[in-house]
Formats: sequence, structure tokens, C-alpha cells
Amino acid sequence: MVKEVHKIARQSGERRIIIANSATSINESNKNDVVVDGSHFGRNVGEMAFNAGIRGMIGNDAGKGLDNSCIAGLKVLEEHGVPAAAVSNMSAMIGDGTSTYEEGEISAVNEAAKKLGITVGMSAKDAADKMFEAA
Amino acid sequence: MEEPLLGEKKVVKQSGEARLIIVDTTSDVREDNDTDVIVTGSHGGKVGGDYLSKLNVKGVISNDAGIGKNNAGIASLKILEEHGIPSATVSSMSSYIGNGTSTYEQGKISTVNEIASKLGIVVGMSAKEAADKMFEALIQETK
Repeated sequence: MVKEVHKIARQSGERRIIIANSATSINESNKNDVVVDGSHFGRNVGEMAFNAGIRGMIGNDAGKGLDNSCIAGLKVLEEHGVPAAAVSNMSAMIGDGTSTYEEGEISAVNEAAKKLGITVGMSAKDAADKMFEAA
Repeated sequence: MEEPLLGEKKVVKQSGEARLIIVDTTSDVREDNDTDVIVTGSHGGKVGGDYLSKLNVKGVISNDAGIGKNNAGIASLKILEEHGIPSATVSSMSSYIGNGTSTYEQGKISTVNEIASKLGIVVGMSAKEAADKMFEALIQETK
């Protein structure tokens, strides 16, 4: 689970969009990447993503949950200027990064993502493209 | 209630080799947890079910992540059931996802698999009580 072979959805030079089932598989080797993953976007996931130094991230909103804890990671990344967004858990299957990427519809965005033109209702693919082009 | 602090793997109870363990993320569970009941902050999706069944843990309580598309948030329950492992989820509206202590302290059970059901674990029960039931059953088994 921690070791996972990531799919590469797009690549241009060192920049990539990668797809992961679990955010726990992200590390420093992903510092040039926009990450689309299947995990919830809770606070601990935001911290993992920040520690890895990634360029942008799209996860699952897990129904948002108690005090919006399932998307608390958006705020963590916002504080570091990293664009982040979540897809609705009714649009994509949690734990499945390919589903996030292929089927996901954006349900929440942080300020840094908003500045890139990422909006609620957009497809995850379009949102990932916008992060990729800005990275 | 405020969100409890995130932390490392915690041992809540121990009896012989059997332990009740709290983790914020399922990815912190390891081979040496094969005598343990696990309470995790992670969602209860397939990826965690595959991982935990391979490690042969003795019980799992995770977060239902709002259940979601195709019940993906609770897909692990069936997988664990097929491996004879009792499992339940707490509602994402009852506890903070990604925070195992919150799952344990605040979680309210939202779904159970057949094996957990046989242990008397029911929807609406506190996660603490459900974890106790899994732990007690484990101790009885290993006696």
C-alpha cells in the first residue's frame, strides 16, 4: 500500500500528472508532480502532500464529514500556496485514483486552485490539466 | 468536541500478544500487527481492505467516508469478511477522518460486516464499545 507504482497521465519534461490510489505512496520523488489520488483529503493527507513537496493535488472529499474534516488538507496546502481540490465521493470511488481522475467532479477547491480557474463542477481531468499547466 | 491531535501508532489495550491499536492511516499497519485489532482514521475502501487482509489483522474499524459511489467507502468490509476478519466503519459525520483517536473516541458505528455482527456489534454503537467486543473475542480465541 505504501509502495505503489504510479500511473503517469501526462508528462512534459520533469513535470508530470501522476495517479495514485493512496496518498501514503507519495514522497519526495513526486516533488515535480501534480498528484491525483484516491484518498480522502483530511488534514493528515494535506501534511503528507506538503512534506512531499508536490505541485498540486486532487483527492476525494469523502462526503466532507464532521467539521469538513475530509477536506481539511485543502487548507493545509493553501497555507503553502499549493493548489488543491477534491472530487465528490458520489462522483468517484474513494481509494481509486484512476476513478478520481476519470470520473471525478470537483466539489471543493482551495484559494490557490481557484486562482488557476479551477471551479466546483469541473471535471477532475480539466482541473488536473490546469494545475499541470501552471506547475 | 475538538479534533484530537494526530499521533503515532498507539496501543490502547494489551493482553498477551493481542493488542488494540490506533493509527491515523492504515498504511502505518505492519506485519507485526497480525495479533491486533486496528482502529484507523482511514476510509474503509478496497485498498485498505486488500492491505489489511494480507497482513491478517484480527479486527478493523475505519471511517465510512460518506460511503459514496458504489459504496466504495466501505468496500473493505466484504473483503475482510471473506478473510474471516470482523470489521465495522464509523460515520464520517461522527469523527474526523484521518484521525484514529477521533475514530476511537468519537466514532459511531455506521456499517458492520457479518463477522462483526456475530460479535454483537451493531449500527449506532460507539466505536470504543465495538473495538472492545472485537478485542474481547480475540482474547477468548487466543486463550
